[in-house]
Amino acid sequence: MKTIIKTFFILLVAVSISLAQGFKVKATGEKSFNFEDKYGRNQASFFSTTPLEDITGVSNAVMGKVTFNVGDVKSLKGSISIPVASIKTGIDLRDEHLKSDNWLDAESYPEITFTIKKVGDVKVTADNKLEAKVTGDFTAHGVTKEVSANVTMTYLDESEQTKQRASGDLLGVQATFNIVLSDYDVENMVVGQKVSEDIEISINIVGSSAM
Amino acid sequence: MNSKQKYVLIVAILLISAAVIWWLGSGGEILSKDGIWVEKQMTELDKTLGLKPELEFQEKFILGLLPHTAVFSGIVVVISTILFFIFKTKKTKETS
Repeated sequence: MKTIIKTFFILLVAVSISLAQGFKVKATGEKSFNFEDKYGRNQASFFSTTPLEDITGVSNAVMGKVTFNVGDVKSLKGSISIPVASIKTGIDLRDEHLKSDNWLDAESYPEITFTIKKVGDVKVTADNKLEAKVTGDFTAHGVTKEVSANVTMTYLDESEQTKQRASGDLLGVQATFNIVLSDYDVENMVVGQKVSEDIEISINIVGSSAM
Repeated sequence: MNSKQKYVLIVAILLISAAVIWWLGSGGEILSKDGIWVEKQMTELDKTLGLKPELEFQEKFILGLLPHTAVFSGIVVVISTILFFIFKTKKTKETS
């Protein structure tokens, strides 16, 4: 009986290890990464089309923190957010319109947030790089909806090269996902232009384990 | 059409044509812009981290059809029309 239990336990551990998908780097165990960058190098952007022109909006004030077990990326937890007031489209009047009550209402809902709920479809592409589908709650204009983002994550152990950017291990995250404006009670007119219902959001950030 | 009216018409056509050529040369954008988003050059570390190029806003005036080219052309048309009729009146007075 003991042998059967032992064998079952060993098999369970072996299956768990084989299912765990993560980085094969020097670092091990649970790590936390902070995405606040005092130099404003982390960026979240959106892209939308109107009949007259394409609109790009950018925020360099990305904040957030994630925690996960280096060997098992499915344990990823945390959130990323940007202040609505930090979004720039290149036209001051349009920026003001974006922050107004009709659009994102920066005064009532000052932040846009993505909170991670689940990680799936993990595909390890290199020892320190993987692709995954990250599902989470996207909150904008006071409305929260579940969205799935295609994410590429790259882990770099601390080295002389990584210190050029920040101390500690670095985690590079590149993510894209789409949202539908009407889901967030946002009217799709900005400065008299009808904006596409579908907005493409892109996140391009680096977190440090030392902050 | 007297010679002054012809002169007004030619100048108006030349001014509007110049504005349209300038607009087309600026990229033929519908709306005027104060700048453009350009991709910043990536460092080796950024590439290693799997990032995409960061967008940076560069101030640069780009002439669009709206409002600048259209407003300029409209003003030229209005002024030329007024001058056209002024010169027509003057000609009538001269002949009478």
